[in-house]
Amino acid sequence: MRRSLFFIAPVIVAGVLALGLGANRPSAQPAAPLAAAAPAEAPAPGATPASRPLHAQDIPYYEACAREGLNASECAGRLIWFKATAGNDRFHTYVFQQRVGVLIDWFRVLRADQHGDRFKAWGAINDPACCVPGSDNCPAKSLDETYGFEWCPGDEELLKYVGKTGYQDPACDFQDAPLKDGDPHGPKDQRQTACDLKFGTSTGALGIRKFPNPRFNREQWVALNGSAGTWDGYSRKIAAAGGSGEPAKSRLLDGSVEPPFLIGTSCGSCHISFDPLNPPDDPANPKWENIKGLLGNQYTRISEIMVSGMATNTLEWQMFAHARPGASDTSAIPTDQVNNPGTINPLINIAQRPVFANEAVLKWRKTTSCPEPKDEASCWCEPGREGKCWKKSLEKETVHHILKGGEDSIGALEAIQRVYFNIGSCSEQCWVNHLSDLRQVDPQQRGFGQTPFNIGQCRRDCPNFRAIEDRLPNILDFFLSAEAHATDLQAARETMKQRANPAAIYGFKELVADLEKEFGKNSVVRGEKVFTENCARCHSSEPEAAQLETGTAVNLDYRKVNETSRIRNDWLGNEKPTPVSEVGTFRCRALHSNHMAGHVWQEYGSETLRAQPRDPNIKEPADGGRGYYRNISLLNLWAFAPFMHNNALGPEICGNPEHPENDFYAQRPRYVDGSNVKLLPPEQQPGCVAYDPSVEGRFKLYKMSMEELLNPAKRIPKVTLLNQDVSLRVGPRLWDGTDKEKLLGFQLTIPSEIDGRGVTAGTLGNFQHKAFVVDLVQSKFKPEELQARLAKQYGAEEGAKIAGDLKAITGEIASQPNGLVEALKKRPYLVKQVYSSCTAEVENEGHRFGEDLPESDKKALIAFLATL
Amino acid sequence: MQKRAIALLAAAFLAPMLFGCTNKEDKNPPAVRFAPFGEGYATKPDFAQLEHQFPLSVEELYKITPKNLALLNQEEVDQIYARLSAGPIPDGPYEGDLFFPKGGSGKLRLSEIAGGGLRGLLVNVAGTKLDLIGETLWKGKVFYRQDRLLRNRIEDLSALKAAGLVEESAETPLQKITVKGKDQWLLFPARLYCGQSLLDGRRESIIIDYAFTDQLPGYRKMPDMMGGRDGFAIRDEIRMVRPGLYLGRAYIDRSFVVNFVLYNDEVAEAAKAEFQKTGAVQEDCWGGTQARAVLTATK
Repeated sequence: MRRSLFFIAPVIVAGVLALGLGANRPSAQPAAPLAAAAPAEAPAPGATPASRPLHAQDIPYYEACAREGLNASECAGRLIWFKATAGNDRFHTYVFQQRVGVLIDWFRVLRADQHGDRFKAWGAINDPACCVPGSDNCPAKSLDETYGFEWCPGDEELLKYVGKTGYQDPACDFQDAPLKDGDPHGPKDQRQTACDLKFGTSTGALGIRKFPNPRFNREQWVALNGSAGTWDGYSRKIAAAGGSGEPAKSRLLDGSVEPPFLIGTSCGSCHISFDPLNPPDDPANPKWENIKGLLGNQYTRISEIMVSGMATNTLEWQMFAHARPGASDTSAIPTDQVNNPGTINPLINIAQRPVFANEAVLKWRKTTSCPEPKDEASCWCEPGREGKCWKKSLEKETVHHILKGGEDSIGALEAIQRVYFNIGSCSEQCWVNHLSDLRQVDPQQRGFGQTPFNIGQCRRDCPNFRAIEDRLPNILDFFLSAEAHATDLQAARETMKQRANPAAIYGFKELVADLEKEFGKNSVVRGEKVFTENCARCHSSEPEAAQLETGTAVNLDYRKVNETSRIRNDWLGNEKPTPVSEVGTFRCRALHSNHMAGHVWQEYGSETLRAQPRDPNIKEPADGGRGYYRNISLLNLWAFAPFMHNNALGPEICGNPEHPENDFYAQRPRYVDGSNVKLLPPEQQPGCVAYDPSVEGRFKLYKMSMEELLNPAKRIPKVTLLNQDVSLRVGPRLWDGTDKEKLLGFQLTIPSEIDGRGVTAGTLGNFQHKAFVVDLVQSKFKPEELQARLAKQYGAEEGAKIAGDLKAITGEIASQPNGLVEALKKRPYLVKQVYSSCTAEVENEGHRFGEDLPESDKKALIAFLATL
Repeated sequence: MQKRAIALLAAAFLAPMLFGCTNKEDKNPPAVRFAPFGEGYATKPDFAQLEHQFPLSVEELYKITPKNLALLNQEEVDQIYARLSAGPIPDGPYEGDLFFPKGGSGKLRLSEIAGGGLRGLLVNVAGTKLDLIGETLWKGKVFYRQDRLLRNRIEDLSALKAAGLVEESAETPLQKITVKGKDQWLLFPARLYCGQSLLDGRRESIIIDYAFTDQLPGYRKMPDMMGGRDGFAIRDEIRMVRPGLYLGRAYIDRSFVVNFVLYNDEVAEAAKAEFQKTGAVQEDCWGGTQARAVLTATK
């Protein structure tokens, strides 16, 4: 029945009219076969929307725009956000695997026969428009037709081009919104062709898109896999020869195998979520009205998806697959060697998000011409266009602080554009050459360290960059739209009641009554007072709240509606940076270094950011503006537990999938004995809380998380540990010469426990092995120079100790090439402290504010915050 | 100790076989333009900007020979490689030479950083020795373009046989090819495909991948497995300098080890006039999206 939606054309007309997207657009034909909706030829650049066919796959998107009341620009931005991969299909099919060396088993994630388990396993949100081949009304009758994937609208065209060239991307028919008035590059529409947005079709999981692979060879594929409808031969584990305990491999490693699809991701792959106001009855089979685009998927296991093709005893799996549901380490691929997963920020009430004036921002700005003599490094005009130029200059600007430490700080549009690099767009043209190669330990060679991404170069060389950049105002409009408006508990409960009784009313009064029933009389009113006195200095965006820093009493109205934006005035967070030692939470994320000068995202950080003084209370490297967390918004806290930037504060949540190999929480419980950082025995491990996106499920999780937040003494420490020994090869291996199955050499096994203490995933991820190797070399050739530097950094005694140990290690490994791990095990402080970018271990510590409040006030706070 | 010695010997043999050999005859490095660079990694120019500012002209490409590349330091070799495209996947036999990375001092880079004192940590074979062995043993590669396969040409198997590293029987005779009147053995089969360069992501290279060598026709466990995923995990990548001449980079387990060149004089001669005129060849791999200037004498 789901499928019938896409044969009902009149909704297109309704949607289009509601949006005012162009009265001249041809109306869809009733019950037209989907194939008829496919474009016959590429539209000419600059063609008007009226000349472009409307794709069946777009229909529910326009319906959603109508439902949310979005205008043409907001709607265009929404569609881009949900579908545009901006060319990252090559990243997720070739670059990540071959250049970065990490394998994704896309079939494991997207196989149609595990549709029902996908949300539980991977947290991915199933696309309501797709169907399992062979199911009722599904146009595809067998998995062979779809190469094992679900069938999705647009596939009637796409599948024809698997193994062939000539596919025209549906994005070519994208209905662009009118160019904004006053755009310096207008009024002529000179936007990059929308084809370069690259939509493809859905894979069955929202935000994960597929494209036909013209290099695919069906005959070879069937020979490898046994049939077209499975990828089993491609992903089947092949044991290492000799059974040496090395990780198993698979043909996923074999770049000569071309899969049927290239897989791309849109920003929606992480940001699309269930609507807290209107959650699905069955999370595995949501409806379109249960979907929102900006609140962030709290259940996604995007990190596990990204390493789904790696054996679990590889360094890569251990390093990537530890983010909690709803979090990812966005500096794992452009690695800064700081192990620091962070949550996907909910984008709520963005119109009221605080901005900061007079920040020093060096960036490119639109202009219409460049002065002579031409200097492309500071001013560039796009060839073949009229006055479509950009000029780079340092100016004072009013900007947002985005990311956990406010690192993206040169403007909202640029921050949105950078999301596309997080998802792999323009990787080959613009940024993989700037990354650090973990294997390069020679400081004179490329890849030893990061170099800065160049926005001007990327604009010039990557058409997908331009396609996105030219439409960033639409995406920002979407961010500011009603779809990002707060989703209050009162409204959610009312929706639930109206499902049973459309006439039901559940207003603020009813909410307060229910909360007081649970948390005590006058708890909401009392909670507001407690909040103002204890929390609002950081968690209010009202200018008057700043006076709380000096102890001045103020009256804050958290429910006041802004007359312009017509949403609540207070964003419940002032976005100012707080030193990480003050907030006390797991500090690794605050030590993120990719926005520092000379590092890959330098151009996305403001000079003001980089000028922040370092936090004197932390020992790790924390210069260049690092070492802070911004004071985040508490809007709709009831719907977004667990808490903190890593989702570590509150119960662990889990999907309990049917397929045990995909039960990632079971493989990696987190609660440890604080004395030895070893996992608590199973009987002492608190159980995880099963995913429950329902209104009451969210509220229950909120209450549990608030209890932990306000009662730090009751928290059981959480640490992400290596859950098994990790084997890795460093450098060439040597032939044994007698045993023909055995090879000797530089295979290192990193134990999951050293001297009775657990080894954290961060121990490996944060180990600055390059600095270590450079110092090791220096200890051999320039020992005095090294000792002087170490003495300056650590003091004479400690510096001498480090230098002495380094020299001893060079001797040990010269006589025993495999002895590096043993040498380091004898001196764990080198790995855990001296050469670590972050030494923090416990992930749910800190933010102890409010722990001394009376129990009644804690309950009052919980009640009050549930109302906002 | 004997095991150890054999192991070292095997590694020393294998690496050059699968890579490529240097020539000390040419005293002058090629006269092509380079972007300025310093010693540290951060001083190296971005490849996109390098190519934008200093695209290699056809004239410059013809100044590059299999011999004079070895006179450049590694950064200069990298700057040439990055400005090349993959070109057509070659077909037939190619001669090979290898040369090791050199640092700014003119010494082998490994010697500069390790000085022989950290042999256990880094590569414990000296480049110069490999160089010598490469010249002695490895003669080049044979491309089977249609099948996307490649095999290496070995002229003298005696050293490998002495080390017990060659399986041979009446049922599995060694494959042989005759090039310029000389018999050469065909070993170490590899797959050919277009894929990612581990140096420059802006366009694809032709990849010579030994990872799944055991699944290729003609595979014999010894010595072929040493190149595969359970051995040294060797992966080469090449780009075309001009028709008949390719510049390559060889990796062991994703770590760069050595440069090599592949050349076929007949191919070079046959295509020279047309390439000098147009600067264009068939491109089998993804060429990226950065605009590339074609600089010929006629343009």
